[in-house]
Amino acid sequence: MATNTQTIKDTVKNYLMTEFLPGEDPNDLTDTTPLVTGGILDSISTFKLVGFLHSKFDVKLNANEIANHLNTLNDITDIVQAKQGVA
Amino acid sequence: MDFNLSEEQQSLREEIIRFARKELNEGVIERDRAQYFPHDLWMKCGEMGLQGLPVPVEYGGSGLDPLTTAIAMEALGYGCEDGGLTFAIAAHLLACVVPVWKHGSEAQKKRYLPGLCNGGLIAVNGITEAASGSDVFSMATTAMATDTGYMLNGSKTFSSNGPVADLALIYASTDAEKGYRGGISAFLVEKNTPGYRSGQRFEKMGLRTCSIGELVLEDVQVPADAMLGEIGTAAVIFAESMAWERICLVACHVGTMERLLEQAINYARTRKTGGQPIGKMQAISHRIADMKIRLEATRLLVYRAASRLGDSWEIDLDAAIAKIHASEALVKTAMDTMQILGGYGFMVDYGVERVLRDAMASTIYSGTSEVQRNIIGRWLGL
Repeated sequence: MATNTQTIKDTVKNYLMTEFLPGEDPNDLTDTTPLVTGGILDSISTFKLVGFLHSKFDVKLNANEIANHLNTLNDITDIVQAKQGVA
Repeated sequence: MDFNLSEEQQSLREEIIRFARKELNEGVIERDRAQYFPHDLWMKCGEMGLQGLPVPVEYGGSGLDPLTTAIAMEALGYGCEDGGLTFAIAAHLLACVVPVWKHGSEAQKKRYLPGLCNGGLIAVNGITEAASGSDVFSMATTAMATDTGYMLNGSKTFSSNGPVADLALIYASTDAEKGYRGGISAFLVEKNTPGYRSGQRFEKMGLRTCSIGELVLEDVQVPADAMLGEIGTAAVIFAESMAWERICLVACHVGTMERLLEQAINYARTRKTGGQPIGKMQAISHRIADMKIRLEATRLLVYRAASRLGDSWEIDLDAAIAKIHASEALVKTAMDTMQILGGYGFMVDYGVERVLRDAMASTIYSGTSEVQRNIIGRWLGL
């Protein structure tokens, strides 16, 4: 079942804050904050995020999607919705 | 989870053990001493289908699921006393064949997988560099786009099967600024490609029947369709292959540990001191009991991880746990066996010293124990 944009964004943001940015100000993490190129997500945390997206939204990402479509909250929301649309 | 073997799995296990004992063990002491890679035995393993266990049948593989693949590798580790050959097969299958199967184009799969599965082709995984060991993505090897494809330059080291390989899976930087974040790509390079060559071959403490060496790439021009997967996706390809390797390679350790346990029990039941078997002494029986506990715990970790391979990226954590536990358990079990066998264990003819030498590498290759603990720590939010 498709999940609406804001729900995805809020869920992922909450996950990112809890897992990778404990104690940081949530206002600093915007929809366009660079997660990968900004150093918030490294290789291991990226795979943790991918595992989370799978368990939470039932989407499986391929290598290209993992490498190139997880850099911002907007990117993540788009790819989750696109994958749910395909399913 | 039910890890009782099915009839098919039990039959496969017995078949591989029978094959290994009959075909792979004769002359292992001499091969180890001479650091000789047994190409004839490699081909026999290919006929058995060992180099393509999980690959779909349509590409020449056996089409096994990951858990059954691990069970087959465990059987190989149990029956085969040539740890270098076992390692060579595992490195080929898990770090090279699996990526081609999982990420290759249809043309690449048709071109390479049949030969990779039947033993006709030997593959090497080229990622480690002299200046970047565990930090594998800080690589200096580059792939520059050209009119017809890519030009590869650089060198790789500690490449298992490198000196005997027909096909190299080379990881190279296609965008230095991006690094592992979309800047690393993978290429399939055939051994006769101009500019590609095998460099220095290393002498090693263990795994001596597996050839390990350098790979040199000097202006190696490859066509665009030599790229494995899409540009910038190699970090993901590599991570997936490491999950397979950290689970199915260490499945071999389970088999080896079981063989050592049986060797220790047989010795402890027949070797007498003070008129009774040494196994009646708690110093020995407790050590053997600990070996049994270690074996069964390792087997469960490996089976559990293998049963989840392909389901989720959380396998990264399972793989790290299985790998570190199995490799450290193998070292400890080899040392325990040597202690129980005493002076005999130290003698080459008994094979225990060779297993111990081979085992010492297991906490280093495929990510050191320190790297595995880093991964586990990160998954725990540290």
